[in-house]
Amino acid sequence: MSSVQTSHQAVDVQGLWKIFNEGSNNEVTALSDINLSVKPGEFISLIGPSGCGKSTLLRVIGDLTGATRGEVFIAGETAPVAREKQLYGIAFQQAALFDWRTVRRNVELPLELQGLGKKERRERALELLELVQLSDFAEHRPWELSGGMQQRVAIARSLAVDPPLLLMDEPFGALDEMTRERMQNELLRICQETRKTIIFVTHSIPEAVYLSDRVIVMSPRPGRITHTVPIELGERNEDTRETDTFYAGVTAVREALRGRSASASPPRIEEL
Amino acid sequence: MSEPVSGKQRGVTRTRVQRGVISILWALAGVVLVVLMWEAVKFLGSFIELPINTSDTSMPHVWTMVDAFSNPVVRGSDTTVLQAVVSATLTSLKIALGGFTIGVTFGIVLAVIMQRFAFFERGLLPFVIASQTVPLIALAPLIVGLGNRISFGPIEWTTTYSVMFIAAYLAFFPLSVGALRGLQAPSATSLELMRSYAARPNQMLWKLRFPSSVPYLVPALKVSAAAAVVGTVVAEISTGVKGGVGRLLIEYARETTSQPAKVYVAVFGAIALGLAAAALVSALDLYLTRNLPKESQA
Amino acid sequence: MSTQTAAQSRRTGRFSGIWPPILIAVLFLAAWQIFVVARDIQPYLLPAPSLIVTNFFTDLSLMWAAAFYTGTTAFLGLVLGTVLGLVMALLASRFIVVNHLVTPLAAGLAAVPIIALTPILNNMFNITSRTPRVLVTMIIVLFPMFVNVTRGLLQVKPVQLELMRSMNAHPRTTLKVLRIPNAIPFFFTGLKVAAPLAVIAALVAEYFGGPQEGLGSRIASAAANTAYGRAWAYVVASIITGLIFYLVVVAVEKWTTPWTGRTRST
Repeated sequence: MSSVQTSHQAVDVQGLWKIFNEGSNNEVTALSDINLSVKPGEFISLIGPSGCGKSTLLRVIGDLTGATRGEVFIAGETAPVAREKQLYGIAFQQAALFDWRTVRRNVELPLELQGLGKKERRERALELLELVQLSDFAEHRPWELSGGMQQRVAIARSLAVDPPLLLMDEPFGALDEMTRERMQNELLRICQETRKTIIFVTHSIPEAVYLSDRVIVMSPRPGRITHTVPIELGERNEDTRETDTFYAGVTAVREALRGRSASASPPRIEEL
Repeated sequence: MSEPVSGKQRGVTRTRVQRGVISILWALAGVVLVVLMWEAVKFLGSFIELPINTSDTSMPHVWTMVDAFSNPVVRGSDTTVLQAVVSATLTSLKIALGGFTIGVTFGIVLAVIMQRFAFFERGLLPFVIASQTVPLIALAPLIVGLGNRISFGPIEWTTTYSVMFIAAYLAFFPLSVGALRGLQAPSATSLELMRSYAARPNQMLWKLRFPSSVPYLVPALKVSAAAAVVGTVVAEISTGVKGGVGRLLIEYARETTSQPAKVYVAVFGAIALGLAAAALVSALDLYLTRNLPKESQA
Repeated sequence: MSTQTAAQSRRTGRFSGIWPPILIAVLFLAAWQIFVVARDIQPYLLPAPSLIVTNFFTDLSLMWAAAFYTGTTAFLGLVLGTVLGLVMALLASRFIVVNHLVTPLAAGLAAVPIIALTPILNNMFNITSRTPRVLVTMIIVLFPMFVNVTRGLLQVKPVQLELMRSMNAHPRTTLKVLRIPNAIPFFFTGLKVAAPLAVIAALVAEYFGGPQEGLGSRIASAAANTAYGRAWAYVVASIITGLIFYLVVVAVEKWTTPWTGRTRST
């Protein structure tokens, strides 16, 4: 392990294994020998069928669950230390806003836990709500907002402590297609303004291709990385989704998702 | 061929206050119905042989009961029956509230311990749940006996304290169960979120678990309040402690041959006691759920 | 460290199984016994568990007689209250007026000490019989049963009602085929609350005078005669009676509806 290299990587995963119920007869190898390096400012997507371990990988990086074997470094620190130091922000498929807090106070939550003063918290929260264009809703309650708006609040919250890394687990999965595309544009805009590294888990091939610099394709049983598809789409605009490069990227990822089963036996239903 | 559908299904949604007022109106209608049935039974009993004793000493007319409000408690006394009952009800209310507060406090403390330490949940919860299926009230005479014989240094343990203690332990158990369920209510996602913030256990408790527990706490508070009231009244009866409405129930029950309607006033007092406690808990409910969406509110 | 749900921890954790409650019960009883013996506490303050157990088995026939008396009162009240509650619930599901009238009344009565009605019933009915006690127990049982069964009859999913309508079903058919089966788990939920309540009601009703053969009267008189070991033994008998009522309901539920797993939260 080269310490010079790791201190430059935003995220460095080395030889990671995650096995549930090791030793018993319902042992599951969720992740096997994962190696992944993410450069600062990169946007990478993790994509794959159910059970490929993409969400598990995200959770190991976030120290929400432990590694069985191998190492994970975020900006040179181990995962637990990175969590203690709040080096990442996270957003889930459910916005998980607290109903008993206003929108602004929901965004303030991580800052509150870090002990930031009232005035500074408020300023920062309003700044973030401005970024996601929800300033008018600062004093509203979460249930008064649409699903897409709630996710924007969740994203604002994930940026609260200004972490270098964002982990996102299918944050747009519960939204309808139109809202989803709008949110993707929003996310890219925020990304450009803040220069964060983002690891993004998704089920949707177009979404992965549209958002990422690299698409990491995974497959299950055991969970592993099978392909890395680089994406060269340049500056995104509203026509990007209809360009040839985009279609090529989507096709490349789709082939990669199929690739492993085409070389072996005919695809079984559950692998499609 | 019409199926009864709820107001919600017909597209009518009412505010909480509206629904409360409508409920009260229907309850009053129910009371009127009971009064009518009462008089109807008396009427029937005057010319048919019923298994019920419908004489005026056993079943006074409703207007006799109302009349009794203004009768003197004892011949020649200045206090009316109504005044005596109101004062006794207030005394009992204070005791019941005291017991309720103590029971709720300890119930929450136990729930926090059970949520935090799996051993205590596994070990204590079966007993807490079982205690709701057994007549703990049976202990009342024994607690009073115990209380009469001990003292904590300069503090004399009066029977009133025994009554409050009984109310407290009856309120304690249902509240523990509800509070524990509430503390365990947060979704896995919310817990992961807090963990991602490296939140300490007490931060988890105050910032996530307590606020999430409110929808579960509120029904438990209602049950606890009712339990505290019943405990107070029954404890007063079995101890005969003066000042409370339980004592009046027994005293006036003995006077049914001379003043049959007095005991009814005492019964109304006991009912008012329960309703007063319920109203206070409802106010507390309104306060606790003021910021929550309508679905969480009772 | 992974974030398991609380339920998962309970199933697989170090503290799973039955030993934690047993350990705590044993520790509690041991501590009680040691405390009484070591501090030489008189029985009139706090009898030792050993004394209570001795009294219980010495007077076993007395225990049984008192428990049987109170238990019978409770049982009669429970049956009457349940039957009446069911009838009213069926009426409420058919005639919404009944529901509107009775449900707020039930909610209000849930907060008040209904047992305070006993002196009135003692006057209206023969105080030397168990009738007033059975009646007050019946009233106490009636309302929880009504509320639960009515909820079960009425809380059918709109899509299920639409299905019945699409099959041109008569209300009576809908009742038989949809509402009643839907209401069965609610019935048992109510019964699990009502059965212990019946025991408590039957016991407390004995404090208001009348025949003195039941558990409530016995505890009070034993306490008055400072026979505290025996009084506590009667308390144990009361607890056992309450538990038996509850466990019988649980057993009947499991026997008649083995397909109901965890109750869905409503």
